[in-house]
Amino acid sequence: MSQEKVLQITDLSISFTGKVVLDKINLEVYRGQIIGYIGPNGAGKSTTVKIILGLLDRYRGKVEVFGEDIRNKGNAYKKRIGYVPENGEIYDDLTAFEYISFTGQMYGMEPEDIKNKLIRLLEKFDMAESLHKRVSTFSKGMKQKLLIISSLIHDPDLIFFDEPLSGLDANSVMIIKEMMTILAAEGKTIFYSSHIMDVVEKISNRIILLADGNVVADGTFDQLKEKNKEGTLEQIFNQLTGFDQHEQIAADIVAALHGDESNE
Amino acid sequence: MNDFITLKILDRFAGLFRLLSVDYRAMRLILSFKLTMDKRRVPTIMQGDKQKENPMLSAFVKSLLLYAFYGLFLIPFLVIGDNYLFQMSIVFAIIMFILMTSMISDFSAVLLDVRDKAILDTKPVTARTISVAKFVHVVIYMTQLTGAFLLIPFLIGSAVNGVRFSILFFFTIIFVSLFIIVLTALFYMFILRFFDGERLRDIINYIQIFLSVGIIVGYQVLVRTFEFVDYSFTLDFYWWHYLLPPMWFSGSFEWLLLGNSETYIVIFSLLALFIPIFSIVLYIYLVPTFERNLQKLLANSKAKKPKRARVQQWIARIATASVEEESMFRFASKMLRNERDFKLKVYPSLGLSLVFPFIMIFSMRVPDQTPNYTYSYLFAYFVVLMIPTVVHMLKYSNKYKGAWLYRILPVQDQMLFYRATLKAFLIQIFLPITLLIGVIFSVIAGFDQVIHFIVITLTGWLFTIVCYRLLNNQRYPFASNFSFAQSANSAYMFLTMFLVGFLAFLHFLIQLIPYGIYGFVIILIVINIFTWKKILPKKV
Repeated sequence: MSQEKVLQITDLSISFTGKVVLDKINLEVYRGQIIGYIGPNGAGKSTTVKIILGLLDRYRGKVEVFGEDIRNKGNAYKKRIGYVPENGEIYDDLTAFEYISFTGQMYGMEPEDIKNKLIRLLEKFDMAESLHKRVSTFSKGMKQKLLIISSLIHDPDLIFFDEPLSGLDANSVMIIKEMMTILAAEGKTIFYSSHIMDVVEKISNRIILLADGNVVADGTFDQLKEKNKEGTLEQIFNQLTGFDQHEQIAADIVAALHGDESNE
Repeated sequence: MNDFITLKILDRFAGLFRLLSVDYRAMRLILSFKLTMDKRRVPTIMQGDKQKENPMLSAFVKSLLLYAFYGLFLIPFLVIGDNYLFQMSIVFAIIMFILMTSMISDFSAVLLDVRDKAILDTKPVTARTISVAKFVHVVIYMTQLTGAFLLIPFLIGSAVNGVRFSILFFFTIIFVSLFIIVLTALFYMFILRFFDGERLRDIINYIQIFLSVGIIVGYQVLVRTFEFVDYSFTLDFYWWHYLLPPMWFSGSFEWLLLGNSETYIVIFSLLALFIPIFSIVLYIYLVPTFERNLQKLLANSKAKKPKRARVQQWIARIATASVEEESMFRFASKMLRNERDFKLKVYPSLGLSLVFPFIMIFSMRVPDQTPNYTYSYLFAYFVVLMIPTVVHMLKYSNKYKGAWLYRILPVQDQMLFYRATLKAFLIQIFLPITLLIGVIFSVIAGFDQVIHFIVITLTGWLFTIVCYRLLNNQRYPFASNFSFAQSANSAYMFLTMFLVGFLAFLHFLIQLIPYGIYGFVIILIVINIFTWKKILPKKV
């Protein structure tokens, strides 16, 4: 694997209305890596991704994508980036064909080229008959597949997936996981945010754990395991985020359901 | 996709946009898809696999025709007399009201589309291109709207007042439109600066309601004031007239066409020229902040502190027969008060039913005569008239899919859902309105009106259950999609309106019999109890 640097983040900080969300983060990401980007809710995962994508501009520090500072480079670097947003924002009044034509052309592709690719892709995703249907009529899984197609149609080099598997059935999940492995082997870089630890553990060749705006762990799963002496990523996650009361809380919840007196 | 005439026209200005360092290809692309979505905006769910598009009668075209109709009301002010300062002030006031409110109500969904951020900003286009595309999109919409609204008045005004008027009118219209666009955007910026997205949506909602009521009431009032308006009216100038934008624009007519060069007229004209330009500069300067604040639309709003409403709880308890029904009553009350689409479809008619009785009273007045209010309580049947609309709307909700909840509940008495909902409507909406009108009428016309309002209230209760049977007759409220709401059975609607007329007439006949009205109250109570039990029976 070549050691070409795709992304470098130096001292990245951002705060919203006084609350510090990211606190001097440093990261280097290399070509061909699948990075599992994890952390509790509100740790700053999506915020990091939004900054890299240029959705937020009031940050301090430096973000370099493909070797150039995104502050003064304009927007051309986005051509090589693919993104599946966390909330699944999509113009659902359009048909699948129209939506992908739109995003594809925004990435500078030719309409004919987009159409050919899309037809092939939809067929592989078992959605061939959905080409001219409106996205608003799609099921959650179909929408998610369309978002994945939309993020990859221009063959990007750096891919941000924010919970890309939500709503997909087990078979589609296997396809996407395998696809990510092939893409990474080809030299694409994938930034994968998720709360489902089993998947992150299996597919990532590097795991970055964010908590309270700081990077608290960074390394392969084996390295993390060695350091923390825990068996699964889930357990490591719990340990590193200082969360060890799940048994007590679960017991309290059940007690509350039964109407018992609290034993806190 | 690329066959919009608008875009073809825009293509001629491609050079201009490139001069502004806008990526014209990307902008055109964004616009072509935005326009496609606009065409489809109204009925979202009704299309499934079949995609029928009826371009001739899209909701948007219909609304343009309606604006064209409203525009006709401007004509009198354009053709009578040549007191431009006065006439044109009224014309511009109306134009600005219509444009501003429709801009906020119809177009806010487009201006405030939060999906844009995730979808457009992640693509390799500059922020400038995106904001110019948005602005052009708004301008396209505004042009269509202003065109529909002002074309006929413009032609007639030009024919009557000559070429110079026509040229001036044309340019002032452009300035007014631009001014309104920027003003709307600044309004959003202001709201978003201080409040969150939920509040903004509430405000937009109320403006939409206000627009619907305002237009109808406004024209009623305008028509009435016609008689009193004296066109040789001269204006006494006060400094605060500088704060009235319509006067700026009308000032330019007074100055340039009539040669009235009083200082304040000249200042008006200069304001008309420079304030719009200044506001556009301000807008461009503030756009980045605006975009940033748009993020707030995505953010969760702060939790409201629940208000302690003892009275509400007490009402819910005494109005209902069981714990389940009480809980449904509270739920329905919340829905009536909180669901924006429901409010938008229902509150305008509520507002009208509240205002109309008074408009009728005042318009029936004969000058120089002591007004006779003997039968004015019959106007309060306007309130009964709105019942079918509201009851019909109780079927719908934006989140109609949540209705699975009713089905999984272990409730024996399936009729309680609608029974509680209808009661919630009667107690939370119908009763307060009738009460308010009743109190005001009693003050105006004497306290013998009270008995008539008792009759009207009882009639309303009876009529509500009848409307339910005729229009809804189903098990669960808030369980259908609003997109289907247009297809109200107009035959039934007509029948119910006829019924209201009949009930009012019956009321009139019975009060002619001495003490008949008291007997009528008793009969109505009995029929009410019987009908409610019959149509929505309690099952145990």
